[in-house]
Amino acid sequence: MASRLSRIWPTLSRVRLSAALGSRCVSQTPKSSASNAAVASDLQPVSPAAQDSHGHAEVSPFEKNPDFHGFHHHDSFVDEWNMRLAFFFGISVAIVIGGTFIHYLPDHGMRHWARREAERLIKQRESQGLPLMTENYYDPSTIVLPSSGEE
Amino acid sequence: MLKVLIPTIMLFPTIWLTSPKWLWTTTTAHSLLIASISLTWLKWTSETGWTSSNMYLATDPLSTPLLVLTCWLLPLMILASQNHINPEPISRQRLYITLLASLQTFLIMAFGATEIIMFYIMFEATLIPTLIIITRWGNQTERLNAGTYFLFYTLAGSLPLLVALLLLQQSTGTLSMLVLQYSQPLQLNSWGHMFWWAGCLIAFLVKMPLYGVHLWLPKAHVEAPVAGSMVLAAVLLKLGGYGMMRMMVMLDPLSKELAYPFIILALWGIIMTGSICLRQTDLKSLIAYSSVSHMGLVAGGILIQTPWGFSGAIILMIAHGLVSSALFCLANTAYERTHSRTMILARGLQVIFPLTAVWWFIANLANLALPPLPNLMGELMIITTLFNWSPWTILLTGLGTLITAGYSLYMFLMSQRGPTPNHIMGLQPFHTREHLLMTLHLIPVILLVTKPELMWGWCY
Repeated sequence: MASRLSRIWPTLSRVRLSAALGSRCVSQTPKSSASNAAVASDLQPVSPAAQDSHGHAEVSPFEKNPDFHGFHHHDSFVDEWNMRLAFFFGISVAIVIGGTFIHYLPDHGMRHWARREAERLIKQRESQGLPLMTENYYDPSTIVLPSSGEE
Repeated sequence: MLKVLIPTIMLFPTIWLTSPKWLWTTTTAHSLLIASISLTWLKWTSETGWTSSNMYLATDPLSTPLLVLTCWLLPLMILASQNHINPEPISRQRLYITLLASLQTFLIMAFGATEIIMFYIMFEATLIPTLIIITRWGNQTERLNAGTYFLFYTLAGSLPLLVALLLLQQSTGTLSMLVLQYSQPLQLNSWGHMFWWAGCLIAFLVKMPLYGVHLWLPKAHVEAPVAGSMVLAAVLLKLGGYGMMRMMVMLDPLSKELAYPFIILALWGIIMTGSICLRQTDLKSLIAYSSVSHMGLVAGGILIQTPWGFSGAIILMIAHGLVSSALFCLANTAYERTHSRTMILARGLQVIFPLTAVWWFIANLANLALPPLPNLMGELMIITTLFNWSPWTILLTGLGTLITAGYSLYMFLMSQRGPTPNHIMGLQPFHTREHLLMTLHLIPVILLVTKPELMWGWCY
């Protein structure tokens, strides 16, 4: 079913869309600097080799090398090894090993410890019926205040 | 610090001495190794303050996420540029990668600097490779205008900064961040001091960019080649945010009143640039204005000077850096195939490039700040702290969030959904390289969901 659809879809789309798009494929916006800038202009004469790689106008690199990975156009050996090294150093080393290193970093500032300690103390005090926190941080009997008569 | 800086400097011999066949392979592998080593910076050995390696270069929880982002971005830039730079003569290819590596070196020294003058020099030094990349390798004639805007906006902002720094050196005797964080608050009570305050911050506000002085950004981002756009959006804008956060410690108490107009400008900028995004026809221009919008939120968060504001700013800077760079890479894949940035030209792509549609989807969801991604967490922290400062800001930030969701969705629907036009049918399939590039952008964003304390800075 899908293969049948894929065979007739190009004709279908061409019939349906080309009628609508036929006259509209040419840009009809007034020439302004913004729209001019949005389209690449030929600044220098491009060599045929550059044209090939840039525009892929004539030959797609996938024709010559079906396993083209996007790294090197003409040499499939370099292309393949570039892909392998990029994946190895990018994912296996940087993300996996680096990620493991980051995961096992020590608890900076004891923040995770502080959260666990707080939860432990809350559970402990609730089970003992004590208030979660006493109002006075210091014992008031140890505080010596000057009497109001002195200076 | 040196274990990353020396390999980065050794990239230059690597670039110039490798055989042409293996140039891109070796530079990619070398820069990925540097990125892996840079992850060791995330182990902060002191409980507070700086993890010093020496008197001149040090890292602390504010600079570390930005440093890791910088080091991570170089291999991504090399991967992204490989296709369009490959046809050029070999010495020009080497020169291109040299410019990227020199940017990396300057940025590492900028984020790691402990002397504010060194930070200033590196801040200015990053302009030169970026200018060369934009004006030499940009694709349209407008690139010259873009380079001019980029250079002179930043220079005009940073000349007052130089004067302000020299005045600061005169009055405090030092410009070392290690010392200034403990100095007495400055007596700031005259008109001259207000100008000094403005001089300290204008350069960074232009770089961020703040809404009124943002005109350089759409031009520079659009005209730059993909690596230039990536580094501009991901890291160079954050230089502004980082500079502001460093300078803020010294600028109290003037900042309480003087920050007012800039906060309002930043918030208004979110709405205005977001609205401009909804009307864009040029894909890269849309992403560029989206950057201005997000950075407006960051600027607001920093100028508020609360712990949540700072933390939110850092988180949003890192998350935006990765996601914005991802969007520019996706826009470049469309550009390399259609040679146009017009959005309606490359539409209905989902049918032909289904896996790439997944990357477009995730990148756009991240851009519109979908929970639990760090984009949302940063935005929420900034919005909350702004609300605490003044409840009226919720109108601007809420509307800004809505418009952000609007244009992100617009970008996705415009490029992926809808009927696929005929001229799109023959486009070249996606390369493994491009899929890897997107993976390396988006996996860190997703992984950061699991350990956000890497990005909370020193204010948590």
